[in-house]
Amino acid sequence: MTFGRQVLAAARLDLAEVRRSRWLWFCGAAYLILAVVFVLVGLRESTVMGFTGMGRVLMSLCNALLLILPLLALTAVASVIGRARDDGSLELLFSQPLSRSAWFVGVSATRYAVLVLPLVALMVGLALYGQLAMGQRVPWAFVVRALAVSASLLAAFAGIGLAISTVVRNPARVTTYVVLAWALGVALLDFGLIGVLLRWRVDARAVFTLAAMNPVQDARMALLSGLEPELSNLGPVGFYLANKVGASTLYALGVAWPAVVGAGAWLFAFVRFRTSDLV
Amino acid sequence: MQLVLKHVGKRFGATAALTDVDLTIARGAKVALLGPNGSGKTTLTRALMGLIAADGEILIDGTPLTDRLQIAGRLAYVPQIAPQMAASVDEIVRAIGELRGFPRAAVATIAGDLGLDLAQVGRRAMRALSGGMRQKLLLALALASRPELLILDEPTASLDATARARFFDHFARVAADATVILCSHRLDELRALVDHVVVLAEGRVVHDGPAAAYLADRLAAVIELRYRGPDPRWLAAAGFVAGHGGWWTKAVAAAEKLALVPAALAALGAGVEDLVIRDSDRLELGEVGHA
Repeated sequence: MTFGRQVLAAARLDLAEVRRSRWLWFCGAAYLILAVVFVLVGLRESTVMGFTGMGRVLMSLCNALLLILPLLALTAVASVIGRARDDGSLELLFSQPLSRSAWFVGVSATRYAVLVLPLVALMVGLALYGQLAMGQRVPWAFVVRALAVSASLLAAFAGIGLAISTVVRNPARVTTYVVLAWALGVALLDFGLIGVLLRWRVDARAVFTLAAMNPVQDARMALLSGLEPELSNLGPVGFYLANKVGASTLYALGVAWPAVVGAGAWLFAFVRFRTSDLV
Repeated sequence: MQLVLKHVGKRFGATAALTDVDLTIARGAKVALLGPNGSGKTTLTRALMGLIAADGEILIDGTPLTDRLQIAGRLAYVPQIAPQMAASVDEIVRAIGELRGFPRAAVATIAGDLGLDLAQVGRRAMRALSGGMRQKLLLALALASRPELLILDEPTASLDATARARFFDHFARVAADATVILCSHRLDELRALVDHVVVLAEGRVVHDGPAAAYLADRLAAVIELRYRGPDPRWLAAAGFVAGHGGWWTKAVAAAEKLALVPAALAALGAGVEDLVIRDSDRLELGEVGHA
């Protein structure tokens, strides 16, 4: 059987697993909250106040995305191998002529698609709803930017989640690592770094470099630089970098760096899964 | 398929799960892998399937096992506890059928014989099936693939008597030429499926020989006797254990029952109201017969 057909078989089984899992409901609820934020706060408010409030609304949406997407990606994948090992699925599947690589690729692709595709549908659907039903002018450029950055951010944390899944066997520890990875991503934003700056008098460039290595920070800057590149929006680190490298570079960095982090983490997880005991 | 294990070992941290296992399993042999919990049976079967890396050498038909895919297409495995997969029965049958290249109809026929109607349960999640139904599904998938090596871990533990009998019947036809490794202490499985016994203890092979002689020494019989007489001291002295309603029970080696029953009847006389002699349904290692 070809590698592609093995991937397809693994992906179909994993899709069935995802369809029936509680995680999908959690993911759906999270996206629903985003939709409510976008519709109720954004479109409804703009009909009252006009488009002057749209920038603030979009910023709220960006902040919601930055908080929710890493957590969704981590919870989607961090337990995938441990759970399959514990419930006996891995033992049964790998007693079949199914390669480890095919299974890993199939599962990774399925989980990533289940994270990204509903978000694309949600954002585009809401934009069309706003345009057609409520007569709003939709900032399509921002929608596309938000989707590109979100997809990249999801890739980063899906990769990190898979790395956790291959390294950590204990389910309780997996939860700890997920919370830790998420908290690090969120906490290493401006407010955390400014705290570091103030407390230990760390060199500003070192802090900004550290900030730029955080995929969430990059995604945030890329999203917000599409709006008004003001200090109040971007924060000190983003404002410094925006002035230093320009908004376009910030956007490129916000899309590319999380994708690189995700690819690196995925590759690590892939190699480890291929070389370690399956059960 | 012929399997040769040379100095196979496996450690999990400080724990040695397998130590220096040397074993030859001839093509077509039907081997029971016995041993107490933690003796290394599961680790050994996982090493044979290539699921875990082990020290030493495993030869498959003379060729060193270096890649799991060398053997995966030629073996079928039935775990004791079926996985709790959320995928539907149809999805699992389809996926495994595609991987192994057999049609759904082949599985459906065997599953039907075992008492599982795939048309009826096809859309249900595997984890929503009862333990017996899941076991039937796994047995049908394993037998449909017509493997050269069949690894079974307590395969009929969740089956009713009818399904068990039908499985033995199918097994005799489908797996007649296959090499079989069976992890089980159930006497009916051992009698029906194996001709050779390997016993593991603390990760080492401590017995490797024909099944008939091994089982003859260890087949347990259970004697149950209902006594209403005045003096049960003979029963207690003979090792019987008191139960409810005047019943006394003792497990003995098979050969012992022929001597014990007449002795009991002679000693207890008319006080004996009923007598039942049955095979123990499990092989009680070390508790009866030879330790």
